Amino acid sequence: MSESGERNGLVVFEGISKRYEDLLALNNVSFEIEEGEIFGYIGPNGAGKTTTIKIMVGLLRPTQGTLYIGDHPMPDEKGEVHKMLGYLPQSFAFQEWRTVDHALRTFGKLSGLEKNEVEHRIEEVLDLVALPDVRYKKIVKLSGGMTQKLGLAQALLHNPKLLVLDEPLAGLDPASRYQIKQIIKGLGKSGTTVFFSSHILSDVQDVATKIGILNRGRIMQIGTLDELKSRFPKKNDVEITLSHDSGRWKELESLTGVTSLEQSAPNRLLVHLDSKADIDETIHNLIQGLIDLDCRIRSFTPVFPSLDEVYLQYVEGGENA
Amino acid sequence: MTFLLLFKDELRGFYKSKVMIFLWIGLPLMTVILHLWSPDTGEDIPFTALSAILISSMGGTLAAVMLTVSIIHEKTRHVYDLFLVRPLKRWNLIISKFFAVYTCIAVASFLALMLGLVIDYFSMGGAPEAVLNDAAQSLAISLSMMAVSSSAGVLIGVAAPSVLVGAILVIYGGNQISAIPMLPNMLNISNPVPFTIILGAVTSCILLVIAVFLFTRKQF
Repeated sequence: MSESGERNGLVVFEGISKRYEDLLALNNVSFEIEEGEIFGYIGPNGAGKTTTIKIMVGLLRPTQGTLYIGDHPMPDEKGEVHKMLGYLPQSFAFQEWRTVDHALRTFGKLSGLEKNEVEHRIEEVLDLVALPDVRYKKIVKLSGGMTQKLGLAQALLHNPKLLVLDEPLAGLDPASRYQIKQIIKGLGKSGTTVFFSSHILSDVQDVATKIGILNRGRIMQIGTLDELKSRFPKKNDVEITLSHDSGRWKELESLTGVTSLEQSAPNRLLVHLDSKADIDETIHNLIQGLIDLDCRIRSFTPVFPSLDEVYLQYVEGGENA
Repeated sequence: MTFLLLFKDELRGFYKSKVMIFLWIGLPLMTVILHLWSPDTGEDIPFTALSAILISSMGGTLAAVMLTVSIIHEKTRHVYDLFLVRPLKRWNLIISKFFAVYTCIAVASFLALMLGLVIDYFSMGGAPEAVLNDAAQSLAISLSMMAVSSSAGVLIGVAAPSVLVGAILVIYGGNQISAIPMLPNMLNISNPVPFTIILGAVTSCILLVIAVFLFTRKQF
């Protein structure tokens, strides 16, 4: 929410909690998703990702807190929200007797598409998810990966403004994963707001423009990848790539401010700096020292934490992170 | 619009899954077989009456079990999740299923009774007014009982947590509840048919309203 109290985001969670008898699945979750964002929601199994999503799409009611999608409070105005929502659940099934065409036709009509639009959109979405040849097949004859893609197709059928995907890449082979990630990126570029959950960090890193880390029902961090990394305690490590290595760099280990110096790969040095020392002076002396020792420097890069490290810090660090 | 779409869908599902063929051919056929095998009691039970008794007990139970199992199965496999995130009223899902099953069963009853009438016509050398009256009464009782057991099937399907629990409840409970429309006959009310129909319709409506209330409040 803005300082004036206005909601800016397309999706606004305000202090949402969800309790299942003794279990507090979500604890005071608040965040906003702007229009056109691709929001990656990560957390370990049982963190509350699916509960968040089910509250968002109106399948569950929160115990506490408010949720707005567009200008519509959920779940009071879920009929309005459902007109602009596409949803791929983590686990789902189609009725056994349905063919791909029949399932998409029904879902298209239920989502408000006209008869001629349905025909056209079925063709488009099946092409998009690379399933044009299975249109008249029974869904039970499809593989797990194909059914997952069909799940995405039904979510995209009515060109939703907000697409909510619960573990969309689970059970897909590498080629299909790449393909679905490209589709999600493309949707983001075309202005569709995408919210997707995953516990595979590289997928989130590849696709998301904003990331939320959830652990034990609580939001630990939210921001862009760069923002998350910048909030992480600095490691004070630098990586130096040499175009010429005289081999004498070991002499710099005794340099004030340098904790250790190691070769991480041929022509590549990893320098751990003492955080208590004057970093600027240490780096200046380090560069000067390498030049004096007949080493030629190609690049000099501060080492930032990876998303894996950020994630582990907040998830394994738990409440104290 | 939504209701009609889902109703047609459910009918198509029953047609595709061969349930409809079993009902429309199997039930009348079983009635004939049982009639042929029935011991000679010395009483002249019209075949139409026998058909009605068989169909209302078998068809009603079958419809109730079909509805219960289908709803629980679709709930547990998260089939409804894809429907419930679309702009439709939840009641459409279960009421369309109820009417699809009820339509199938009603057609099967009608076919079986027509078969009974034809057999009675030939075995009794005509169709006396009493037999036709019996047929109409039998059809009314059958349809009322099946409506009640089908709606009980929907309610149990919505409320029961597993297929096993649902099947047990519907076989024991559904059968008992479906006897409610028979009360006017048991109480020897003159011309009980209108009372049977009203009682069947009211009981079914109450059960369906409770089912819709629970389904609408259900969290998936």
